[in-house]
Amino acid sequence: MGTARVVFDRWHDRYAERLAGVRSSAVRDLFAAASRPDMISLSGGMPAVGLVPHDAVAAAARDAVHHEGAAALQYGSSDGRPEIRALITELMAEIGVRLQPSDLLVTAGAQQGLDLLAKTFVDPGDIIICEGPTYVGALQAFSAYQPDIRCVPMDDDGMRMDLLEELLLELGPRGAKFIYTIPNFQNPAGVTMSPERRRRLLELAHEYDIPVVEDDPYGRLRFEGGHMKPLRALDDEVIYLGTFSKIFAPGLRLGWVTAPRPILAKILLVKQAADLCGSNFAQVTAERYFKGTRWRRVLQKLTTTYAERRDAMIAALEEHFPAEARWTKPDGGFFVWVELPKFVDCNAMLAEAVERGVTYAPGDGFYPDGRGKNCMRLAFCYAEPSAINEGIRRLAEVIEDRLELYRAFIAAGALREEEEGAA
Amino acid sequence: MREKIAVLMGGRSLEREVSLASGRRVTDALTAAGYRVLPLDVTADLVATIRAERPDAAYIALHGKYGEDGTIQELLEFLGVPYTGPGVVSCTLSWDKSVTKHMLAEKGLPTPAWITLTSDAFKEMGAATALDLIPAAVGGFPVAVKPSRQGSALGMTKVDSAEGLAEALLDALSYDTSALVEKWVDGVELAVSVVGDGDSLTVLPPVEIAPKEGLYDFSARMSADDVDFFAPARITAEQTAEVVRVAREVHEALDCRDVSRVDMMLDIHGRVHVLECNTSPGMTETSLLPMAAEAAGTTFTEVVSAIIEAALARKDSGT
Repeated sequence: MGTARVVFDRWHDRYAERLAGVRSSAVRDLFAAASRPDMISLSGGMPAVGLVPHDAVAAAARDAVHHEGAAALQYGSSDGRPEIRALITELMAEIGVRLQPSDLLVTAGAQQGLDLLAKTFVDPGDIIICEGPTYVGALQAFSAYQPDIRCVPMDDDGMRMDLLEELLLELGPRGAKFIYTIPNFQNPAGVTMSPERRRRLLELAHEYDIPVVEDDPYGRLRFEGGHMKPLRALDDEVIYLGTFSKIFAPGLRLGWVTAPRPILAKILLVKQAADLCGSNFAQVTAERYFKGTRWRRVLQKLTTTYAERRDAMIAALEEHFPAEARWTKPDGGFFVWVELPKFVDCNAMLAEAVERGVTYAPGDGFYPDGRGKNCMRLAFCYAEPSAINEGIRRLAEVIEDRLELYRAFIAAGALREEEEGAA
Repeated sequence: MREKIAVLMGGRSLEREVSLASGRRVTDALTAAGYRVLPLDVTADLVATIRAERPDAAYIALHGKYGEDGTIQELLEFLGVPYTGPGVVSCTLSWDKSVTKHMLAEKGLPTPAWITLTSDAFKEMGAATALDLIPAAVGGFPVAVKPSRQGSALGMTKVDSAEGLAEALLDALSYDTSALVEKWVDGVELAVSVVGDGDSLTVLPPVEIAPKEGLYDFSARMSADDVDFFAPARITAEQTAEVVRVAREVHEALDCRDVSRVDMMLDIHGRVHVLECNTSPGMTETSLLPMAAEAAGTTFTEVVSAIIEAALARKDSGT
């Protein structure tokens, strides 16, 4: 039996001011804590690690200890073991990026890369440009350094270059510390930046002399269509963040960052201060796991599974969701982005959704400025197809209930259909 | 050994964070006063914990739904644990701003003109075709649109013209199935805390809330940086007397006990307009009741002790 006893934080009034900026949403925390046995979560972007064969991981870990026990248990080099950096260069070559092992350093997931980059580049008030919406973890990592984050809207081809250009024109040369983008199967929008836009982005970055940070966790999870070259393959100046979280498992906390040498040197300094070095044990295990070809079959299985789940979600959306809703149709990755009429507030609606046993991620969490209230991110990566269908059905009921109210206003001429919601 | 007091806080309301802050402060005060204090989050384990711990009384530091709407009060009645603050009926009435206003109007207490509309009236009965009648019904713009049952100004909008009315109603109706449209009153915003009941009833000095700019909304209410507080309020002695009289009458009209906070406006003609009555007012560092207590020369600990003693007295008297 649990207890309702509260344990207070004695130090609640001792924390640094910068933490005020990284507060999470009270509403979201509230409902994250709420659970019922049959809750269907469409909110979290958790990989389907159940498909990663545990025997293969166990064998890799056992091998690692048997053959390199001393190294695995010891401190390591701050930029990562040479062996794993060699492995990463091979993985990068497969997506068209030619690197030397010394061009990259290993991080604790790409998430640490985001933190290190912001720590390296950002002073309070500095401008960072990103897509709107963008990855909530990036917003959190950046926010700790108190930047001024500007969002550039997207369409089905990714970040709108005309709008980026407008913003750059306003900010001027070197007017931002960097441009952050997730070109492949973007989190949360699910869209992919077209080859033309990729080229244009790099042109603009050069013209305005601003570094581009390419975050590419989902690039290898493509369900259909041809591979698109990463920005880093088109331009050596691009800072690239990669991760083992989606091609192997997030539990190992392994990612990497490649950057022009001077930048990499700065990031390394910051990394040393942060954690001396990454986990050698995890690195050795990953090195062993990626020997041979089994990991490729596992990745294929993961991709096929995600594709089936994407199909289930799109089919369920088409079957259950009201005509007023619009959603993206991702060719890969984890997420579908749903846009409801402007007047719908998805934050306020979450309470009702939780009551009905389904969760989603309200859209405004993916913006630094309160936009996206009428949007939601749905994750298809984790739930089984039947659960996805049921979750979407429940969610559709909630939306219908809200829309019924809106329709009553519209029918009475009290609300125009394209009207923007209050606040 | 002093009595064991369960301080109830947190829970699943949208005001969870504020409640945890209130609960922390109340816990500290009761501990300082020598009680044995058991801080409890309102979770699925609450009843089991209360049964196991058998507190002598419960201090309700919950805000919003479940804490102020009669839910926790009914539960504590059932469990036989005396609790602080108004009883079930009083909480149920006060929690619904529309019902409160009906009660006040019936008793001849001043409250701004208003109308109430439920989501069913819109969905099933075509109420949206009558939005044009609203200005005349409440005496013209501007108006305040708010959910009938929600705390801390969540879902509240000031509307200056007919164009904004529908959006504001829809926004309010995402927090509750009932929304009210109330004539906007310009003037001095006052929060008047009342402690005790019957012969022991004390009205604390009114606290004036002066927004630094714009509306005193939820974010400002949560952050003391955006408003200036004046305790006692910068009003005349006659005005203070009138405000105090009205607060006392509201407390009594709604059959409150132990503690309540009456929120009101003092218009430019010196007339009082009651907006609502809170049966579990905030007790955080930036809350209004603690400020009022300080202005009265009372310590926070003394106020909290008086409130808990009133609840403990009900245990002794078996009521």
